[in-house]
Amino acid sequence: MTALVDLLDDAGLTGRGGAGFRTATKVRAAQEHGSALIVNACDSEIGAAKDAWIVQHHLAELVDGAGLVGFPGRVRFAAHRGSATAQTLAAAGVSVLEVPARYVSSEETSLIALAQGRPARPMTRRGHFVAGERDSQGRRIPPTVVLNAETVWRIAQVNRYGPHWFRQMGTEAEPGPRLVAVGGHVGRSVVVEAAAGWRLVDILASAGGLPEDVREVGVGGLGGVLLSADQARDAVWDTPGMARVGGAMGPGIVTVWDPRDCPLHEVTRMLEFAAGESAGQCGPCMFGLPALVEGWRDLCRHPDGQTRARVDQLTGLLPGRGACRFPDGVARFVASAVLTLEPHLAEHAHGICSTRGVTRNVQYA
Amino acid sequence: MFNMPEYVGTDLAQIGVDRTLCSGHGICAALLPGTVELDEWGYPIVVHAGLDPQEAETAIRMCPARALYRRSGVEPSTH
Repeated sequence: MTALVDLLDDAGLTGRGGAGFRTATKVRAAQEHGSALIVNACDSEIGAAKDAWIVQHHLAELVDGAGLVGFPGRVRFAAHRGSATAQTLAAAGVSVLEVPARYVSSEETSLIALAQGRPARPMTRRGHFVAGERDSQGRRIPPTVVLNAETVWRIAQVNRYGPHWFRQMGTEAEPGPRLVAVGGHVGRSVVVEAAAGWRLVDILASAGGLPEDVREVGVGGLGGVLLSADQARDAVWDTPGMARVGGAMGPGIVTVWDPRDCPLHEVTRMLEFAAGESAGQCGPCMFGLPALVEGWRDLCRHPDGQTRARVDQLTGLLPGRGACRFPDGVARFVASAVLTLEPHLAEHAHGICSTRGVTRNVQYA
Repeated sequence: MFNMPEYVGTDLAQIGVDRTLCSGHGICAALLPGTVELDEWGYPIVVHAGLDPQEAETAIRMCPARALYRRSGVEPSTH
């Protein structure tokens, strides 16, 4: 099995679920500790679609990859309960871990908890769960590794075609193909096989291109950033390129916002959803997200220095203070939305909103 | 999902707060002024990295929720 770790190391494969951790390191640890494997095919982020796409189109290779990493009888495929993905996996005869349809249910430690017969809620990482760890109550959790479905599919590909094949796409620092789900206000929603170093507009081309009238483009869903159309036209899809606009490649999601919708209202809707998705375990998330919704609404009603300062204060209070990093992601998203939507907030400050192709009077978003 | 490339937070200290256990009693902030502050909801913000081991032990022992623990300062990676 060490041969596989060497191949993954040479290929430079990194996790495709969002954090981009080196896969060889994780697989090596999993083999050392005899860890159970959970393949995460939940597509939980808003706009995510690639896990479902892999299950529909490359299931044999996905199962093959899981067999390379996991031990017989100790591999489970996590998918949302009742989803087409869960049905397809079950029909294929693999062991399915059915996950409740909540945002934080498919977080890595939530899946580990669920596999132990506990509620699918994030656990505090006092150590590495891949090596076996105790939960907050001191109960032992057997060694478990969670890999994103695309990561597992790429493992099968690297094993079959080799590191050289893998490195033909992408950059030296961030090699290999990577899937991106493109949706929203585009000609057609697609899952594109792209690579680090592409321009964002080249990824969008597969979905019919970036329409002229677009004002905002989301990258990474609720845990990502909101870009202006100008930023999106210049952006390069790799870690340095996305970092320049405050984001990351994350789980591979690009969402074009409909210019007929008021973007302030869209952010409000996303934040209301986010506040309802907290597992309610960690105080800063449980109280901070509803406060952020309130702060954002106040900013939309009365955009001024005071309401803006309150939103900035709250986005500064959330990061690094939860068992999982859901609040970190939401804070990052809001911080980027405040910057990107400055011109639109200025309109609202003057009681107007120029969406739907017309300028009209507004009370608030 | 959970686009979280690296740990960015205010908690890089010798003590960690288990956020799923913490219920905001605020004892830690009283025992460790200058190291722990409370946010507007009463939950701790670890603001200072260095901490006397004896003080840390006392705070860990006194936490009613058993939410404080010693840690190395290096957070486990996520994905």
